[in-house]
Amino acid sequence: MTVKPMNGRQRVLAALRGEPVDRTPVCNPTSVATVELMDLVDAPFPDANRKPELMARLAATGYTELGFDTIMPVFSIIQESSALGCKMQWEQKDNWPTVRMREPIWAEPDDIKIPADFLTHSDTKCVLDAIKMLKKEYGNDVAIIGKTMGPWTLGYHCFGVEPFLLMSLDDPGKTKLCLDRMTKATVDFGLAQIEAGADALTLPDHATGDLVSGDYYKRFLRDLHIELVERLPVPLILHICGRTLDRMKYIAQTGMAAFHYDSKNEPSEAMEIVKDRIALVGNINNPETLFAKGPEEVRREVYRNLDAGVPLVGPECAIPLQTAIENLKEIPKAVKDWHRNHSTPN
Amino acid sequence: MALTQDIGRRIELVSMDSRFHDISIALYRQGEYGRPVFYIHSYSRLDGVSGRIEFVAHAMSVLGDMVRDGLRFHFPCGASHELACRRLFLEACKVDPAADVEPRPLSVSDKRSNADVTLLSLGDGVYRLTGDATDAKSVERRLSIGAGLVKLGQMQWVEGDKERFAFPCGQSHDRLLGLLLIHALNVKGVEREEQMAAARGQLLAPSAQKQ
Repeated sequence: MTVKPMNGRQRVLAALRGEPVDRTPVCNPTSVATVELMDLVDAPFPDANRKPELMARLAATGYTELGFDTIMPVFSIIQESSALGCKMQWEQKDNWPTVRMREPIWAEPDDIKIPADFLTHSDTKCVLDAIKMLKKEYGNDVAIIGKTMGPWTLGYHCFGVEPFLLMSLDDPGKTKLCLDRMTKATVDFGLAQIEAGADALTLPDHATGDLVSGDYYKRFLRDLHIELVERLPVPLILHICGRTLDRMKYIAQTGMAAFHYDSKNEPSEAMEIVKDRIALVGNINNPETLFAKGPEEVRREVYRNLDAGVPLVGPECAIPLQTAIENLKEIPKAVKDWHRNHSTPN
Repeated sequence: MALTQDIGRRIELVSMDSRFHDISIALYRQGEYGRPVFYIHSYSRLDGVSGRIEFVAHAMSVLGDMVRDGLRFHFPCGASHELACRRLFLEACKVDPAADVEPRPLSVSDKRSNADVTLLSLGDGVYRLTGDATDAKSVERRLSIGAGLVKLGQMQWVEGDKERFAFPCGQSHDRLLGLLLIHALNVKGVEREEQMAAARGQLLAPSAQKQ
């Protein structure tokens, strides 16, 4: 079947709906910000995480300079945690802002309070304003993707990783109560981004392969993610780092539009598990390939995903800030070349 | 229209230049299939960037004795010496712009052996380390520093000789080796620095972060 030429927005949204596309979209569900792109548009970290004009300007380079089909302005994973009251380390231009998880703000379910100013706090409002600016300038051509952190990640940030994991072992009921209560932050921030103009949302929920098993995912998060799909009326892209093949069958049951998956998972194996129940996106390795190798190696990984039938291609996670621009530009180039060499549209 | 350019393969990056407004400056390699040429570039559009790049280019040409054509460089021998060139770039970015750029001496004081170590150029790109101290520990130490130079400069040992080493191009690069000599005293330190630079800027999942 021949598909009419599409723009980036049409292409991404069609792929997220599981519909035919003119070519595989190049999608960035997390971040493609680099120190050189920060220089180019004079929007360095940490300010580009805190000032909407800078955030929008830096995010737009993913489309204007790199040629991706998406724009993602939420580079980090800490905006809402800052608004919830977590202690922050904003770092410098060449490093990521982080939450000081050694100084947790909550210990019990009753401690969980979503502040009244959660959506007007400068670090959440910055995201909403940046999305509005991007929607106005690029919204017809390219998919604007927002990001709202899932309750498991918020649990790490607000309770600390170790206390939160220990609670999940000692008292699963209490943990579920905490997750339920933190879900309000995920939903509120997600809805506000949709209202601001986000076409889709990435939902990172770091039940990562190194610390949390597939069974844990099923027990604590699968139903909660089903609920999030019902409450957030745009395509959702779940992001979990690490080896996650053991939970993909559960993730595929959630109704999420896509799963942003790590290079620790073989594309063909992952596709075999999810089949057409959920789209896969990502998989281009960050530390070894995009950061440390060259365009030829990037191209090989893109082809490996396309050969496996992965419906959206992109980096596996937020790329290292020192990544070379030529490696990132190679992703869309490789996708276009692959399609030129394969006569049947994806 | 995109502002980024296809300017070759980026081989080194200073992500925050402490000498100039924390801009990022990169070294690119061009001419992959012909004579290797290196090029300095920054995407920053701040006032004064061209002057800063000009200074780094000047420092590279002095410290490494490279042939310069604008912001493009090559070694007179035509070889790439890529690893050494990357180190040269990093060092050039550290030079105080207010000071005169001087080639580094071929002699250094080594704290570990408490002795001076001098690099002798024997011609045809062959070098040997020498020093006044003749005790076994100092001799051993000089061999270890030589091994450091071989590693940092991508040099080769002269066959059948455990003291002399040479560039594969067969030509001398005294200034380049003068620059590398101080780093050859502590190669592990150089490697640690490289590892730390590589780890910086990588976003870790919360579960993988040091808390």
